[in-house]
Amino acid sequence: MERHDLYREHLTLKDIAIQTGALFLSAYRELNARKLFWVALALNALVVGAIAAIGIDEVGISVFGYRLGMPGVNTKLFPDGALHKLIIDFVGVGFWLSWLSTILALLSTASMFPDLATGGVDTLLSRPVGRGRLLLTKFATGLLFTALQVTVFAFLAFLVLGIRGGAWEFGIFVVVPLMVIFFSYLFAVQAVVGLITRSPIASVIVALLFWIFIFLIHAGEQFTLHGRTYSRLEIAAIEQKIETLQTETAKSGLVAMVESQRADADNWWLAHTVFFSIKTLVPKTTETAALVSRALAVSANIGSEEDDAQDDTEARRQRGFFRSQFFNERKLKAAIEEEMSHRPVWWVVGTSFAFECVVLVVGVWYFRRRDF
Amino acid sequence: MVAHAVLPSPHAHSSSQGLAIDLVDVTKTYAGRVHALQGVSMQVRRGEIFGLLGPNGAGKSTLVKIMTTIVRATTANGTVLGAPVGHRPTLARVGYLPEHHRFPQYLTGRQCVEFFGAMSLMRRAARRTRAAEMLEVVGMSAWADRRVGTYSKGMQQRTGLAAALVNDPELVILDEPTDGVDPVGRREIRDVLLAMREQGRTVFLNSHLLGEVEQLSDRVAIMLKGKVVRQGSTSELTHESRMWRVIIDRAAPAWASEFGVVSLLADDGRTPLADGRVVIEFKSDAVERVQELIDRLRAERIAILGVREARESLEDLFMRLVRDVDGRAKAVGAERPAGGR
Repeated sequence: MERHDLYREHLTLKDIAIQTGALFLSAYRELNARKLFWVALALNALVVGAIAAIGIDEVGISVFGYRLGMPGVNTKLFPDGALHKLIIDFVGVGFWLSWLSTILALLSTASMFPDLATGGVDTLLSRPVGRGRLLLTKFATGLLFTALQVTVFAFLAFLVLGIRGGAWEFGIFVVVPLMVIFFSYLFAVQAVVGLITRSPIASVIVALLFWIFIFLIHAGEQFTLHGRTYSRLEIAAIEQKIETLQTETAKSGLVAMVESQRADADNWWLAHTVFFSIKTLVPKTTETAALVSRALAVSANIGSEEDDAQDDTEARRQRGFFRSQFFNERKLKAAIEEEMSHRPVWWVVGTSFAFECVVLVVGVWYFRRRDF
Repeated sequence: MVAHAVLPSPHAHSSSQGLAIDLVDVTKTYAGRVHALQGVSMQVRRGEIFGLLGPNGAGKSTLVKIMTTIVRATTANGTVLGAPVGHRPTLARVGYLPEHHRFPQYLTGRQCVEFFGAMSLMRRAARRTRAAEMLEVVGMSAWADRRVGTYSKGMQQRTGLAAALVNDPELVILDEPTDGVDPVGRREIRDVLLAMREQGRTVFLNSHLLGEVEQLSDRVAIMLKGKVVRQGSTSELTHESRMWRVIIDRAAPAWASEFGVVSLLADDGRTPLADGRVVIEFKSDAVERVQELIDRLRAERIAILGVREARESLEDLFMRLVRDVDGRAKAVGAERPAGGR
């Protein structure tokens, strides 16, 4: 008895590869058919083109060959393509990729999962493909949008740095995986909301609101971290001051100040612990975007803004919300940076991935149980 | 379409013995209270065209979707192509055309058929060849490289049929395959289905079109309120309605009422018979009973002008099942609890 070619007890790896390849090819064709994909691609080229239009030499800076009245800005100040690197990091990555391009990507992929939950899914589900695998493959194909966009951006930026700045920085391509990871946090939320509500608009709105929520959590965590660090430094500085004082009368005033600061420190600690705990649970978009800058600094010698070594710390003005008469703002900043540097990449990406996985597991659970 | 000539069958479907579908006590309850299927048992033999009939809401599509894993059954025993219901790898040997299907609008017809071939595990060379063949079979070759978004409803339906057949399925499940197709296209699709049967494939046809099902199907099942109320060949189902009409040239003798109803109306039930003719009509499965009546009429020298056998059509049977005696439609959809939506 001859068996049908497609007779299977279990699917093989080759079977799975065929289906995955077909889904990716279909996703590519879908992107190709979307105007927004090409609009975003054109905007990518425009952003990098605008950066390429900026020229710098020993005399000064120019845009499309027209000199700007900024005589101090020249290759002495920004040698070896430093200006282009700075603009690519600040505008290209920090503003374009981390914000506008991400919003465009969310808009462009918004209908992907509502479509999966409404039209055409019957024909797909009647094929030998598990729902969990189908959903996760679809999710991966959604990331293709960002991957292609960022790859184009990175390639053009690479050319600009090489041609205009004379620095061929292959390390700039590190931006591709990191921005895909960054986008995947928000895309996971959008995908599952789209699957459940079957509404592209609702999925975009919820994803954007979620983004705002995690930004606020990040802002709250950073603010309370500043408060907590400030209190710690203030207490240490006052105690140091007390030791230098001779009279008990003089000391008593500062002792009272220390006691008051200790009570504040406890409050700051509690508030920061709450924010930090919440932040641990949700994706860390700001810190992931910061990882891009950090990675560019290491791998492509881009970014890594350092304070001027000649900066006179004592002369530096007190500024910001947290002001002290016992230590300067730079010390607070240094302490915060030290604290932040202790947060490893695995914590930033790992906990964010954990959240993403939980969201996707909920999505898979829902998709597997749904009747169509 | 060139069904007979081009519909290839690279595989000898020699495993066509036994049952392609054997469902036992399939139930589906939505939200714990809407009973869409209430213990459906159904057997479809390999190599036959099987028609599933039923009014809207009877549970036909739910049953089809359970077989294709689109809907999860509350309880389901039985097999599809010898594998338990819901066994996903077996779906590689099943072709399915859903009712209201929507293909990706950005794909061309050819890309679409090849995509579903790939999703059914076909290797690249095989699916390319087979997709081209199937598009030819359904008469879509000329439009194969245009986007599905530009297709008419009928063209989409033909492309859907090609996608359902691309994996050379042993079992083809078609939900309203001629929906939106013009009469010529319907005829062509019918020819494709008949060609599939000739090749030993099993066709499961879910359709509202009673004539279509009656014309094509070897056996049918009728569903009402989530249950199979009749199942068998058309002749088996209409067997009980076998009726005899014996026409005589004068008033019927008194004893004729023992056999059945004496009528003065023609076959259409409206037109009076001419020249004093009378009809004695009665339901009976036994030919001997007719013979007995003829013998008694001849013994009384009554001229017999005609003897006709009549049966209900599938449509008559269907309408009888879904309507009450007074002609009003019965509640035929899924059962909901009292006070429910």
